[in-house]
Amino acid sequence: MIVADRKPLSEILDMITDRDKILIMGCKGCVTVCNVGGVKEVQILSSSLKIARKKEGRSLTVDQITIERQCDPEYIEQVKATINDYDAVISMACGVGPQFLSEAYPQQKFFPAVNTKFFGGATSHGIWEERCAGCGTCVIHYFDGLCPVARCSKSLMNGPCGGSSKGYCEISKEVPCIWDMIVKKKMEQGRLDDLLCFTPAKNWRTSRDGGPRKSVREELAI
Amino acid sequence: MSTKGTNNKVGSVMVVGAGVAGIQASLDMANAGYYVHLVDSSSSVGGLMAQLDKTFPTNDCAMCVISPFLVEVGRHLNINIIPNSELESLEGEAGAFTAKLKNNPRYIDSVKCTACGQCRQVCPVTAVNEFDCRLDLRKATFIKFPQAVPLSYTIDKNVCIGCGMCEKACLAGAISYSDQARFSEIKVGAVVLAMGNELFDPSLFDTYAYSRHPNVVTSLEFERILSASGPYKGHLMRPYDREVPQKIAWLQCIGSRDINHADHSYCSSVCCMYSIKQSMIAKEHAETPLDAAIFYMDMRTHGKEFERYRERAEKGSGVRFIRSRVHTVEPLDDGGLKLKYIPESGEVLEEVFDMVVLAAGFATSKDTKALAQRLGINLNAHSYAQTSDLTPVSTSREGVFVCGTFQSPKDIPQSVMEASAAAAGATQNLSEQRWSLTLTKELPAEKNFSEEEPKIGVFVCNCGINIGGVADVPAVREYAKTLPNVIHAEDNLFTCSQDTQENIKKIILEKGINRVVVASCSPRTHEPLFQETIREIGLNPYLFEMANIRDQNTWVHMKTPQRATDKAKDLVRMAVAKAALLESLPQVTLDVTQAVLVVGGGVAGLEAALGVARQGFVAFLVERSNELGGMALGLNATWQGEPVLPYVMQLIEDAKKNERIKIFLETEVGHVTGTIGNFTTTLKSANNPLDTKVINHGAAILATGGKEYKPHEYFYGKNPKILTHFDLDAAVRNNDKALKDSKIAVFIQCVGSRTEERAYCSRVCCIHSIKSALILKKLNPEMQIFIIYRDIRTYGLREDLYKEARQQGIRFIRYNKDNPPVIDSDNGQELKLTVKDHILQRPIEMNPDLVVLAAAILPNENKTLFEHFKVPANSDGFLVEAHAKLRPVDFASEGLFLAGIAHYPKSIDESIAQAKAAVSRAMRIVSKNTIAVDSVIASVNPDRCAACLTCVRTCPYNVPRVGEEGYAIIEPSDCHGCGCCVSECPGKAITLKHFTDDQINAKTDALFYIEASC
Repeated sequence: MIVADRKPLSEILDMITDRDKILIMGCKGCVTVCNVGGVKEVQILSSSLKIARKKEGRSLTVDQITIERQCDPEYIEQVKATINDYDAVISMACGVGPQFLSEAYPQQKFFPAVNTKFFGGATSHGIWEERCAGCGTCVIHYFDGLCPVARCSKSLMNGPCGGSSKGYCEISKEVPCIWDMIVKKKMEQGRLDDLLCFTPAKNWRTSRDGGPRKSVREELAI
Repeated sequence: MSTKGTNNKVGSVMVVGAGVAGIQASLDMANAGYYVHLVDSSSSVGGLMAQLDKTFPTNDCAMCVISPFLVEVGRHLNINIIPNSELESLEGEAGAFTAKLKNNPRYIDSVKCTACGQCRQVCPVTAVNEFDCRLDLRKATFIKFPQAVPLSYTIDKNVCIGCGMCEKACLAGAISYSDQARFSEIKVGAVVLAMGNELFDPSLFDTYAYSRHPNVVTSLEFERILSASGPYKGHLMRPYDREVPQKIAWLQCIGSRDINHADHSYCSSVCCMYSIKQSMIAKEHAETPLDAAIFYMDMRTHGKEFERYRERAEKGSGVRFIRSRVHTVEPLDDGGLKLKYIPESGEVLEEVFDMVVLAAGFATSKDTKALAQRLGINLNAHSYAQTSDLTPVSTSREGVFVCGTFQSPKDIPQSVMEASAAAAGATQNLSEQRWSLTLTKELPAEKNFSEEEPKIGVFVCNCGINIGGVADVPAVREYAKTLPNVIHAEDNLFTCSQDTQENIKKIILEKGINRVVVASCSPRTHEPLFQETIREIGLNPYLFEMANIRDQNTWVHMKTPQRATDKAKDLVRMAVAKAALLESLPQVTLDVTQAVLVVGGGVAGLEAALGVARQGFVAFLVERSNELGGMALGLNATWQGEPVLPYVMQLIEDAKKNERIKIFLETEVGHVTGTIGNFTTTLKSANNPLDTKVINHGAAILATGGKEYKPHEYFYGKNPKILTHFDLDAAVRNNDKALKDSKIAVFIQCVGSRTEERAYCSRVCCIHSIKSALILKKLNPEMQIFIIYRDIRTYGLREDLYKEARQQGIRFIRYNKDNPPVIDSDNGQELKLTVKDHILQRPIEMNPDLVVLAAAILPNENKTLFEHFKVPANSDGFLVEAHAKLRPVDFASEGLFLAGIAHYPKSIDESIAQAKAAVSRAMRIVSKNTIAVDSVIASVNPDRCAACLTCVRTCPYNVPRVGEEGYAIIEPSDCHGCGCCVSECPGKAITLKHFTDDQINAKTDALFYIEASC
């Protein structure tokens, strides 16, 4: 799932400072599941904005809608009739949402309310961790289910590096060294020899380094 | 089990005494299928607790806590309250008694009386008000207190002049001057005696000047002085001149622990705690700083959370604790009282106080003694009902049980536990007659209001002066009339009183009200009462909303009445807004699994399992170790000297033989699901976690026990002369020669208890030490025995042991926490003990041959088990009951109960009583085929569900799951209605019935005067 964090309220307030009638759009996809942009968060943001504006002595009209997904044109189509009734629209979806919306409704101004962070999952309620970097060439199986691309600070293919200390990465005492974990797991499973073979440099062209990406499935394209 | 006259057994029971214990016993038995006759000599139920102001250690208002019980007992279909009556005789035998009652005249027919109070208004006679401890006046026609049950007036013929005014004024025609005592006969299967105690009369002492000076009051008088409904309306004043006292002294042990004036040698158990409570509450009530001093001998704070309460009084409230028995109270001309006393330092001091409170102890009344004699019940030397420690609620007469302070002096929770235990005992042999004499209530069909506009009735309570004395209640009432959808508003002196309930029903029917709002106290205590009332006339109980304008308003804004009035209006406006959106919720009933799971195979667990089986139901007894018996296997005797081992062995044998008991040894609880009436528990073998069994049960009793602390102190484990209580008991059992040869034996108290690390008192150690010391003395009368202690806590009749120990020449040396005894262990053999003697005020040395450490009692560690059941433990690791006073055996989660040391350190008789009580409480559930479950539950709207698992992860009871269809499923019968998932659901897919977003938003919108937006 795509994991995002809500932007600070002050930042959102600044975005809409000269707008008096806005629509907040939630998404029932990933951002609902990571508790950042579903119906509840839309309601909370709506109330927070109204209260903040009231403190400033100005009123704000806020409407709310949460659609199935903001990454599909058909769902975005659902707001066509009213979308231009607002001074601005705040999207609580991942970065895809405001873009799809802007493409569909060029007349309207769309603001993102969340910072899209990574592909990951909840390790427990309220804690999400990055697991995938979307590099385009999956190598997880070489490392017994632990991805060094997403989880090593340097995305090293042959680790650990000298910055690994007592199981943690030199960047922070709270970031485990994935290479330490890979080595431990290999040892536990008696496959430490796997790491004797040199993994050649990764071809980063399938990743962001190769420029914006596109996936065309000819058998599906109509 | 008696087999005689099985066919003649009667399915009804008599309870004599309607104090808190009698009420509890009655409710337990009536709810478990027996018809109860509740007899009291007074005109109303409630006993001593109704007179109290607050209760320790929570400082809850006593009347507020007990009044829902009064009302429940008053309106219970299967409890027949027989006031103004005495049990004359009891003939027949267990299972089929004939009780002869003398019903004294009330002179006002309680059936006809509407409690309108006209008779009181016209009555020209003034008499002293005994309920207010003679500090106030009343008329000859009176009710004891406004919440009295049954709520009907009576005439005090001792002062009535027979003028006939009341007869003329009574429109109901209820007055009958010619009323005569009548005699009646009732057949019952068993009798529970709960007559309670009276307070010791301190006028017998001249030294305390009680009868000579009004500013010397008893503790009960002081309760009335502090009470908001008392003679001074809660204003702290002294009786002599109604001046606000600046200095108050409490004198402990008045009529207790004293043999000089032919009073009582026993300890009354509760006075230390109530004096601490009174001193703290008095300080709160006083507008100017109050100096509160408690003069005591030993501070007996041996109950749960009591030690911390005392700490709070001393360090938080600044109450002075002075260890001294005051010998003279000398009245001064200005109303002051000069106290002469000798503190620990030894000099004679004088101090003048404005008031003196005498902490009067308990005593069995003359009437109770006479009744016991009539019934053929043996009393002990202190005139309490004689009981064995191993059958603590059985009297000397079969079929007659005892509970509360007629058994021995004790506090409310202990009385309530015993009441439930007595209920279990009384009904044990009557189980075949269960439900044979009970009545069932025919409720009218619920009316359907879904098509109707809301028509709201608002009832605003004055709560005596609790609300009306602060907020302007008539103004709140008039304001309510202006609110949308309100068609009726009125105010009542007590909205919860029985007559007001009738009035509410009448008005609802007259005016066609379909939503009811009561603005009074807390829904926590009173909502069920009002819900039941409206249900009786066909309104769904959920068409009801409460505004708490007392606890959350007038109590906290006492000093700003205008703002309290405004806030009351806000709260009423909010409640009315929600009421308009209320919907009927269906009452779901579920089948009950008529079996009980008992966790823990010690004495409490065994007693519980046997109790359940003897009531006719299956008990699953789960024990982690490979043997039954628990801690008791290491104990020699109870405090009264009854041998423990044969008793435990008999229990084990009985449990093994009983076909209704399924015993699982070396087994642990793996997983628990379900709710009251229907739990499913996975048991797993302690040796092989894959070996599991699933059992179904309707209730569970946790009796997981405790253990003795293994001291790190005093070379324990390093020197063979240093033992704990359990070590010593074992040595005595094994006739260890070293014991007899010891010349000097020393007991050190509070090892591991009452410390920084473990703040509680372990309750049993003082008694255990003294008991063991007496045994050593018997083994070798020449042995010098010292008990080094901080406070001797031989509470209740256990004081006899302390007295005997001193008579036998056992010496007691007091130490304080900062100056404990020190042991030097030369080359590991010779012991040198140094302690500062409190009388000599200098260190003394001795070379003991035997040192016994009174080690703390710890709860067994059961974190995972408690998590499985979702039951809370306090910071010491003891399980936390639903309410410290009136629900000492229940957990807050319905259907779960606790017993024994898992609750708090206690003696074996107390564990047995609590185990029996847990059985009685569980019978309320498993004795029925079906049970009504809460209608306030969470429900999922699948269209909105993102299957995100938030509910699954946040539910504290593990109820939600994501089903095959791809959305969350919450089983209605399992849901506890806590609302956690509802507030967390990011898709707003879950709604808590009766607390919907619309309803809550309507409330907040009403608070901020926002027009309805939904």
